[in-house]
Amino acid sequence: MRKPALQLAAVLSMIAATLSIPVAAQGEPVRVAEFVADCQLSHRLPDDPIVLPNLAGASHSHDFFGNHSTNARSTQHSLEGQTGNCNPAVDISSYWVPTMYRNNTEIAPTGITFYYLGEGVNNPAAIQPTPYGLKIVAGNAKATGDADSIARWSCLHAGQVNPSKNFVECPAGTMLETYLDFPQCWNGRDLDSADHKSHMSYPVAGGCPSSHPVSVPKLRMVLRYPVNGSTAGLRLSSGTGQTMHGDFFNVWPRAEMERRVRNCLNVVLKCDHAGNHG
Amino acid sequence: MRPRRQPRIAALLLAGLLSACQQEPPPPVPQNGYGATERAFVELSIATDEQALKLVDDPSLIENREAELVELRKLLDAPYVNNHAGHDMPGMPTDAEIQLASTSPDARKQFVHAHLTEQLEVLRSAGTAITHPPTADVVKLMESHRTAELTLTEP
Repeated sequence: MRKPALQLAAVLSMIAATLSIPVAAQGEPVRVAEFVADCQLSHRLPDDPIVLPNLAGASHSHDFFGNHSTNARSTQHSLEGQTGNCNPAVDISSYWVPTMYRNNTEIAPTGITFYYLGEGVNNPAAIQPTPYGLKIVAGNAKATGDADSIARWSCLHAGQVNPSKNFVECPAGTMLETYLDFPQCWNGRDLDSADHKSHMSYPVAGGCPSSHPVSVPKLRMVLRYPVNGSTAGLRLSSGTGQTMHGDFFNVWPRAEMERRVRNCLNVVLKCDHAGNHG
Repeated sequence: MRPRRQPRIAALLLAGLLSACQQEPPPPVPQNGYGATERAFVELSIATDEQALKLVDDPSLIENREAELVELRKLLDAPYVNNHAGHDMPGMPTDAEIQLASTSPDARKQFVHAHLTEQLEVLRSAGTAITHPPTADVVKLMESHRTAELTLTEP
């Protein structure tokens, strides 16, 4: 039964070799539109270059990932040419979230992954590269309960624990994790807006609305914290677990972002850190 | 070795040109205008002062915050939205601190001191970042208030 697939793979390999498309040594391509950046905690500051620009020390505490230079005064120009701590190293974008505390002790996430996905829209071939310099905020730092929150907390390796918009109690040996999906439809004009939200929108029924017609990669942040057991004393610098939010300042080199969108998302293939698919 | 991509060069150039066109940064705020930094400062300071009014009990501290709020609200260019409610912001007393202060004079003293010193730090930072003259005047007013209040409330 595998013969036709093998023959097809051989033909595809020949075509790929002719076109100089990189082909993985083993395995078949995975039909998931995805590329990824795995990052680490870079630094912690009471700064927010999007919500409180230039006001150093005026924010609730943030954990910064990626670009090492991010602070209250960061701009597209100050960030470019700097280094970061993501894999791939070419991604020198800035990412940040409120700091987590148990009582008054900071807890840093130990797993920090940013997925760039083609899901959420019916036509991934139309996805455009994330504009250089785009700022996106996801989640609701002002959430007062479940109704106005999109946070999601769950347990790594403990799927039996139901996800919640607030912290969940994870069994011993597992880790608390949180997912946050960023809006993926852009108005095609503004890299930011006064409320830092209205230049972006979530898709509607599998497509970007006419007000925000440009489909860009869906950024999904997944953080894992070395936390389990009781949630007593757990808080974010913005409040309860429901106030989890994330900020993204895109400074992926244009060519690297463009190549990944074309090679991974537009053609619905899972890529590795280098942006190559199997 | 870089893979050869000659057939794609024209397409890439076109894509690059198109993306360059749509990725220009937004037009800068006129110099010395009421920009993003000023707006953020004013909204943050209203939130901090309103929260601090729930903590402080000294009449002169109350009077100063009420006067500042009048000046801050004059600067708003859009309806005020509290973006910082419930957050652990420098200089902004939390609800838990306000609750604790209501039952303990020592706690109140400690939280008032933290409010004054932390907000002074924010104001000094704002003093170097804000260029819009009317907003800068309010920064100076608040900074002079906090400096005097610190002397007043020193043990």
